Amino acid sequence: MTKLIKVVNRDQCIGCFSCVFACARTWQHAITPDKSDIVVKRYPGTEGAFSIRVCYGCLDPDCARACPTQALIPREGGGVVFESAKCIHCEDKPCVEACIPKALPWDIETKQPLVCVHCGVCANFCPNDVLRLVEV
Amino acid sequence: MRNFYLLDIDLNKEEFNVVDITDVFREYIGGTGVATKLFLDACEDNIDPLDSGSPIVFAIGPTNNYFPVITKTVAVFKSPLTGDFGESHAGGNVGLAMYQAGFHAIRIKGKAQYFSYIEIENNRVRVLRADSLRNMSATATERVLMDKYNNLRVKSIMKIGPAGERLSPIACVGVDSSRHFGRLGLGAIFGSKNIKAIVIYGTKYSDAPKGKYNALYNNLYKEITQSELMHKYHDLGTASNVVPLSKINGLPVRNFSQGFFEGADNISGENMADKHLVQKIACAGCPVGCIHIGEVRIMFEAEHHMYKSKKVSYDHEPIYAFGSNLSVDNSDYLLLLLHEVERQGWDVMSMGVTLAWATEAFQKGIINKNHTLGEVLNFGDAETYLRVLNKISKNANEFYKDLERGTYFCAKKYGGEDFAIVFNKNEAAGYLTGIMTFLGYSTDTRHSHLGNAGYSIDQKFKNNQVSIEERMKELYNEGIWRIIFTSIAGCLFARGVYHKESIIPDILTTSGFEGYDDKKLWEIARKIHALKWNFKFKNGFRFDNVRLPVKLTHVMTSNGSITQEEFIKGMDIFKHYVEEDLKLLNS
Repeated sequence: MTKLIKVVNRDQCIGCFSCVFACARTWQHAITPDKSDIVVKRYPGTEGAFSIRVCYGCLDPDCARACPTQALIPREGGGVVFESAKCIHCEDKPCVEACIPKALPWDIETKQPLVCVHCGVCANFCPNDVLRLVEV
Repeated sequence: MRNFYLLDIDLNKEEFNVVDITDVFREYIGGTGVATKLFLDACEDNIDPLDSGSPIVFAIGPTNNYFPVITKTVAVFKSPLTGDFGESHAGGNVGLAMYQAGFHAIRIKGKAQYFSYIEIENNRVRVLRADSLRNMSATATERVLMDKYNNLRVKSIMKIGPAGERLSPIACVGVDSSRHFGRLGLGAIFGSKNIKAIVIYGTKYSDAPKGKYNALYNNLYKEITQSELMHKYHDLGTASNVVPLSKINGLPVRNFSQGFFEGADNISGENMADKHLVQKIACAGCPVGCIHIGEVRIMFEAEHHMYKSKKVSYDHEPIYAFGSNLSVDNSDYLLLLLHEVERQGWDVMSMGVTLAWATEAFQKGIINKNHTLGEVLNFGDAETYLRVLNKISKNANEFYKDLERGTYFCAKKYGGEDFAIVFNKNEAAGYLTGIMTFLGYSTDTRHSHLGNAGYSIDQKFKNNQVSIEERMKELYNEGIWRIIFTSIAGCLFARGVYHKESIIPDILTTSGFEGYDDKKLWEIARKIHALKWNFKFKNGFRFDNVRLPVKLTHVMTSNGSITQEEFIKGMDIFKHYVEEDLKLLNS
């Protein structure tokens, strides 16, 4: 059974970035939001709400269709598997552009997409049940 | 050992230098310690705080972003309110943004040629014209700049409101959503430098340390989110203090006339949560989410049921300053008052205490309707206070202009010094728990309740069952420990988690900042303490000049009545500690 990370309670987010740090720490061994597969977007003002963008687990992923080298391969149950050796670091980032909710971040250092593997570590560090790893 | 960098900005010459300050970090840890040292290196004695040569320093610690709730940035400057050492701490995203820009400290001197904001991106610094932001409220400034930089993933925005532009010495610097470098007038220094805002972002980072880093992070995260140690901040927030303090006669009411507030239930943490709480927000890297946002709904046209809403953050101190101490127990109005303070960019405690002084001065005939342009100042009259804030923001006459210069200035000019509740010219925080809270304000280097938590010592030693010598020792020790903790730029709300033997050396070592144990950190903190006091004395501070406001010798605190004699005794004891620490500078 495939598991996917899902934003289940977006409006419970407090914007602490614990999920973001957990992802970058675990997968990239780096202390930075810029290496995280999950993005927390903060809207302007005190009234600021947060929006969480993480791979939506598409069954027919637009990012994979946009990749000219098939570096992103549809994953059974949703999402994509990234074969980084195939990535040719396109200037115009078609994979990132194809993802309408901007849930596929770009690593400016490696010039590759940051692809979520739906491991659930972000959910483990969410203090408010915003994220859950769910069976689909 | 990682390297640490200072971004040194000279606005006069529009020159920017990146300086390796790894040795300063090794000697002074970071945060409070490093900011103090970098400030002292650049500040001439007796300089006017609003002179272009007056420096501002921001510093984070060596473990910011490495561990949960180590989220603060420390600002050090010369206070335009007190003419003395100025230090203020803020959360939000600044600590993360500075780290990502690759700067562990930023120092700003000089004055921009034109009304500007500063953009800091990695190694690029730009001073950009910003005339369109002139007189813009602090809240609108943040909205506009957030929108301008909205393509970026993380950024931090510091900004002043119109109060800072008017050089009000009680103006603060707002940070991101609802955080502030609140106390001692940093906002006026921004204004004096022609700086409306600073936007910081970048793409730098450190690799996560190997070894036990993940395990240590996980343990701390678990303790912070699951134990009782930080439950209060996560739950009702500091506003949960309101009713318990009132019950022990420890909540200042009507300009510190008494400690029991008959309307406490209406402005309690519980009631604020029931009626107004709509959201909690966190600083970057803290899972607690202590920032409580309250909302007020206002009908602005009855015929068509037209509503608007205003949102503003609340905490114990704002609730005390504009609630109990002004006798405002209507929580809708309380939030509207706080919202106006937030827009103008005043320090909420300083403005609240000044209005409380003004009200008492009016009632005693020191101030009259000629001063107030016809307004009648009454405790509890929130509608009038809203109009008063509006008149202050317009500098409607000399008196209203003076009100934003703070309580000490006003009392000196108009009278009523006996009931001006200030300590070394800084307005008091929200406690009437006993003499230790006031000795705390008086002996802390930034005259803040957060420097040594005298209010907590009052509550620990109820009825003063231990000697003043013992209590002063406790105050001093707490103050020194807090210098350690704020030098790693930890949030004091997490003190319960980090105030344990060898935890701080442990997180320092784990993050690659090796060679410290509790004893060594203690000695460093004493030296930082001495550096601050050395500056204070050079800039005119005298223990003999700080006295308990006379009114406080007539009121009942949680620990009974207090006397000037005991206050002076406490100050003398503390002076001895300071003298001992100052010897470290000569050794």
